Parts: sequence; structure tokens; C-alpha cells
Amino acid sequence: MAIKYSELVIEHFKNPHNVGTIDKADASATEGSPACGDQLTVYLKVNPETQVIEDIKFQSYGCASNIATASIITDLALGKTLEKAKAISWKQAADELGGLPPVKMHCSVLAVDALRSAIKDWEHKHLGTQIEQNITKKNLVKELQKVIYGKVGVDIVSLKLLKYIGIDEKKNVLIELAVSKDDPFIEDLKNEINERMEKFPDVASVKISLV
Amino acid sequence: MSSKEVYLDSCKTSRLAPEVLDAMMPYLTDKYWYPGSFTSIGTEIAEVIENAQEIVAKSLNAKPEEITFTSGGTDANNIAIQGILQANKEKGRHFICSTISHPSVLAVFQGLEKQGFEGTYISANRDGYLNLEELKAAIRPDTILAAFTHINHILGTIQDSNAIRDILDQADHKIYLFMDSCESYTKIPINVEESGIDSLSISVHKFNGPKGMGILYVKNGTKIAPTQFGIVRLYKLKPGAINVPGIVGTAKAVEMAFSDFDKQIERYRDLQTLLYDEIIKRIPDTILNGPPIGERSPAHLNVTFRFIEGEAIMMMLDFDNIHVETGSACSSQNLQPNYILMNTGRTHEESHGSVRFTLDRFVTTEDILKTVDALEKTAKELRRRSPLGKKEQ
Repeated sequence: MAIKYSELVIEHFKNPHNVGTIDKADASATEGSPACGDQLTVYLKVNPETQVIEDIKFQSYGCASNIATASIITDLALGKTLEKAKAISWKQAADELGGLPPVKMHCSVLAVDALRSAIKDWEHKHLGTQIEQNITKKNLVKELQKVIYGKVGVDIVSLKLLKYIGIDEKKNVLIELAVSKDDPFIEDLKNEINERMEKFPDVASVKISLV
Repeated sequence: MSSKEVYLDSCKTSRLAPEVLDAMMPYLTDKYWYPGSFTSIGTEIAEVIENAQEIVAKSLNAKPEEITFTSGGTDANNIAIQGILQANKEKGRHFICSTISHPSVLAVFQGLEKQGFEGTYISANRDGYLNLEELKAAIRPDTILAAFTHINHILGTIQDSNAIRDILDQADHKIYLFMDSCESYTKIPINVEESGIDSLSISVHKFNGPKGMGILYVKNGTKIAPTQFGIVRLYKLKPGAINVPGIVGTAKAVEMAFSDFDKQIERYRDLQTLLYDEIIKRIPDTILNGPPIGERSPAHLNVTFRFIEGEAIMMMLDFDNIHVETGSACSSQNLQPNYILMNTGRTHEESHGSVRFTLDRFVTTEDILKTVDALEKTAKELRRRSPLGKKEQ
């Protein structure tokens, strides 16, 4: 089956909006890493009175859909209050682009993640909000909701591929996935899960079992 | 897309030469017959096939009866690898392969491992040369077959079949050497009498021949069992329907490649050198993947453009009607970086920004210059968008 990008993705890839950096940005965040493939940095200028995003820029090291989702997400966030910007979902970003191939859905997740992290950075710097990194099952699952199974383009929690998550007293995390060991996306899923768990500096180790 | 197409991906497939289509056309229309004895139409086709076999055999310094036409490179790989291992399984069930072999060969071995055969996969160095010390150590009393890729499709590395043969001959029993020559045939000279190769596979659509055609060479005296069964019209290893137009087209493509072989190789070298020289002159922060120019396949170049991603580069070039391939995880079906680049010690990032350029007889100097113009523009634009490498640039 032909996997192709929508015309809107192509358009945003050819002529992306809001590329660059902001001089003396109020906040910024980088998500992903070159080792995992994509990396995205979002810069914000926020009106402290109204909490409206007055300027937003991005830089992307990634593929066409990575650039296009960053372009659309910054378009959607510009001029919105932080509360409204936080509510933009990765599905909404993908829909605004006329859809994304399942294997590319993770790009939209990365774009939303970078935007939300930049907002958290602003809240941390300007409101003193603590960035929560407590190892609770709820927080871990919230992160795992960002791991997309590339075959269908939906996260592993919604798909019920995440069968079990446990944390022992030494802060080792055990994850059970209902995925066959021959699945072509197994390595991608493991990399994504490990990357997500790295956000919790207190996690001692992550063990992924296939059930 | 209005501008003239530039196609630099012969490792994937290539344009059918018009001369090849002309040669095939009568056999797709009026001369639709099958080979046979005594009748005028039957013997005419039988002679056409014999002639094709002679042309191919001559190009390899093989004997005509050592040539089998197959339905592609994968078909030839399967017939040879499975056939040799099955025919010799009383003597042993061990084979040697490499971690950087072509996926179509690795797939055959993975299938055989499920049937009780056992493999050792030897590694390669950063330039893609096989670790021959590992090969030496991998040989066992039950080793039947060693199978390697003659020219690596990702790195352009040419393996020395004679050096491999010398090591295999140190064993006190016969070990067959199979070479996947899909990238090497028509790009380097192959003389089966002097190369130590017992069997090799060739894919015809990679050198401007028809799709769905392969060539299998099996040296006389090789113990090989058929893996396909049906009516044996021409070849015991490849029963069933005979693709007469495909065979005629194959012979024509081979004839064309070898009638001016040295000139073509020189042309490939010139184009490859021009492409690489212009890239490094005009685009900073690049890494050559595989051996240096002059040592690697003349029709192959693989370059990593640092700080940017390969699928984005490939698509930007596609907008300009220029077609290349990338090792980026983003463009792979399972989001994994190219295993050959990773198995030869590259980082994710290096694999990510890699672009492969492969040549065929239709690539011109103008095509190369147009490609470098587009690459320069693309690298500049994507680097403007990238958060990486800003301090270093």
C-alpha cells in the first residue's frame, strides 16, 4: 500500500512556518535526541500578564513530517493562552495536516511534547511550578501514552499493548508489552519506551518483557 | 514535475534500455513461442535461449550450461543457498554469512535456521570489509557454505573473493563459496574461473535490463539439489514457464554492458568522482560512508550530511525530480536505522543523514551537476531549520 504524505504536510515541509530561534526567549524545551532520530526545540515568548504566546519558533532535526508537525503546532499555539496551547493534542495536530501515515504519528507526539515542555519551562521559570518527575505509576503511564505503535499510529496504552507496569522498592521499572518478538516495530518500541523513562532521573532500570 | 528526471538509484532498479525493449518486443508479440525440437518455431526459440546463455556465460568466463535464468536475484539466492545446503546436509549443516549481507540473503538463512541449519555471521570493519580473521575462526568441520555480498549495496565495498577462497581452502574439506553479485555484475570484472566462486546470483533490472529476471551461476561439479519442482523444460534448478522475452532482454542488457565494459567503468568512475568532489567542495560537514573513491564500486557513493535527516533530503531532491536513497530510520518501514551502517560502527545520526547515489548507463554529467546544485540548496535549507551543529558551522 502506498504510504504518502497529505498535500498539507508537503506544503508545511516545503515552506514551514515559525522556523528559527527567539532572541532572549522566555522559555524553551528540546524533545527527542539525534540518537533516537528526531529532535525538536521550541522557543516561546509569553506575555506575563495575559499568558498569551506572543511569539513561537522551532528548530527541527528530523524528517518531513517532523518539520511539518512542528510548523502546524507552532501555528496553532501562536496567539493562544498557555492553558489553551497545552490542550492541543497530537491527534488534533495530525488532523490539521490532513492526517499522517501511522508510521509517522510519533512525529506529532514529539511536536506536542516539545510545545508542552516549553510551556512547563515557562511555568517553572515564571510561576515557580515544580516539574513533576515523581515515579508514580500514573506519571509513567502518562509518558507511555506518548509511545506510538508505528503499525497503526496509536499509542501503546490506548491499544492495550501495555499489559503491566510495576515499580519495585529499588525503583526498577518492569513493563510488559503484548507484542510478538517478531514484530517489526519491537526495536522502535523499546527505544521509545527507554527514551520516555529517561525523563525520570530516579528510575534505576527499565525492563521490558514481551508477553 | 516538469524537469528531466535524474535517477541515481540503480541499486534499487533502473530504466529499461530502449535497445533491450526493442530486442524483447518480437518475443512479446509475434514470436511468442516456446523452445522445442524439430519444428521451425520451437527450434528458433531454443536457439535464441542457447545464444542468450552463451552471451551471459562469456561475460563471466563461465560455461553456458552453468547458467540458469531465474525470476530475479532473490530467486537465484534461494535456489543456490538452499540447494547447496540441502544437497550436502549429510556432511554438515553449518554456513557462514555476514552481518552486513543483503537482506534478501539474510532472509534465506533465517528461514534455513528454522529448519535446523546453523549459521555464523562474521562482522565487517568501518569500510565494510569482512573480518577475515573471524572467517578463519568460523570454519568448522561441518561448514558447507560461505555466502557473502560481492559489492555491498549500502557501502559500495568490494569483497576480495580470492582472499575468501584462500581461507576456505585451508579447511580439510570443500566449502562452497556463494557470492551475491547483484551489485557487482557489470560494475567490476568477474571471472568465475579465477575468482574462487562456486555460485553467484545476478539481478538484471539493476543494469537497465528487464524486471523479474535473474541469473544464477553454478559451477559444474557443485553438489546442489533442486528446491523447486515442476516440469523441467530447460533447467533442473528452475522448472516451469520460460520467460523468453525476459531471457532475450537479459542477453541484450548483458551484451550492452560488456560491449564497452571498460569505457562504461571509466565513465562511472568519472561521474562518481565528479559527484563526490563537488559535494565536498560545496557542502561542509559530510562523511563518506564506505571505502575511498578508487577503491569502492565505481557506480556507488554514500555520503552522510551531518545535522540533517536523510528522508527530508530525499524528499527535497524528489521535489526537483532527483531520485536517491537514504539509510535514515525515518524512511524505513520499522523506523530503524540502516543495519549495515549500524553494524559498521556508525552512530544513529550518521545513518540518519546518509544518502546513497548509484549509477547506471543513463546517468550524465549534467545529472550529477544538477544533483549537487539541489543537494547544496537542500543542505543549506535543512541546516537552517536544524538545532544541531550551529556552533560548529
